Amino acid sequence: MPRIADISIPESVTRAARDGDERALETIYRATAAPVYTLLRRLVRRPAIAEELLQETFVDVLEHIGAFEGRCPLAAWIRSIAVNRALMYLRSPWHRSLEWLDADAGRLEGLCSENPAACASAEPLLDRALMRLPSLTRAVVWLHDVEGFTHAEIGTALGRSPSFSKARLSRAHASLRALLAAAESIKEGTSCTPA
Amino acid sequence: MHTGMSGWGASLAALPEFTPPPNGWEAVLAAHQRRKAGSSRNWPIAIAAAGLAAVVGLAWQLQSAQSDLAAANPSDFDPGIVASDVVRAENARLEMLLAAIPEMRVMRGSTAFTLAQLEDRLAVVDDRLSRAALEPNAPEHGERLWRERVELMNSLVQVRYAGMASPL
Repeated sequence: MPRIADISIPESVTRAARDGDERALETIYRATAAPVYTLLRRLVRRPAIAEELLQETFVDVLEHIGAFEGRCPLAAWIRSIAVNRALMYLRSPWHRSLEWLDADAGRLEGLCSENPAACASAEPLLDRALMRLPSLTRAVVWLHDVEGFTHAEIGTALGRSPSFSKARLSRAHASLRALLAAAESIKEGTSCTPA
Repeated sequence: MHTGMSGWGASLAALPEFTPPPNGWEAVLAAHQRRKAGSSRNWPIAIAAAGLAAVVGLAWQLQSAQSDLAAANPSDFDPGIVASDVVRAENARLEMLLAAIPEMRVMRGSTAFTLAQLEDRLAVVDDRLSRAALEPNAPEHGERLWRERVELMNSLVQVRYAGMASPL
């Protein structure tokens, strides 16, 4: 899966889209929708919310592409809109109330003992482990490790300091590492949870 | 942007991509039309918001008197439950704000769902408050429940207000 910012959109398509050509806008949507939706699904847990944010992101694109100045790749500009939309949602009070409903959020240690079969395969386990991280921590991990944001950029986006981003990332890596090590021990036939 | 991808980055990037919903582009166009139509009829909402702001302002003015009253009276739930004046005053203020926001007859499904969840949680907290006096650590527990109630009320006010400002 390529980084969104690395997706190349021909200059002629960008120009036509800026002039309001609907077919060019659709081409841009089709080129970027899947990675943008994947980013949103990684940042927010609920598929319905991610779908709504995807829609809002591209409505923003339709409304503002005329003002796009081309200082960065178009896909990176679209990504920044999606990230802002997702972070606005994550900071909202109704998201915090929904987090309460996701009772297993942030709890990694029970993942193997609850479902040992899930620990047998590293890839789905990493997926599940990632989604169990608290929302802001997961955002830091995905934006830094996959999308290539710096700690300073993440700090700015989250309204926090770069050290907040560094600390969250370090703790998240430690949690993920511990979980994957536990999964390895399951594969080798030992208990998932330490004695 | 940093350029290198760590070991974690490579593993995470290798996770499967999600497929966006079918007919996504058509949905974007429809949402764009709705937003444009919404912005052209925003002036009545602005008037309603101004009216609400006036009501909220009034409620704010009344809040100190109400909070004094709330602090002086025993808990609605049980006389044995102790809560700090600040927490109870905040609870009373939020109750007044909530009462000042008109009921929404039309709202997004996601808003209705969130409201229902918040109201359910509020009912659970109220139930716990009514039973908390029987517990040995009632004062500490009561304070915690009151704080939880204030947080829920705060969320409820914000969701109701946001829903009123942008019903669909």
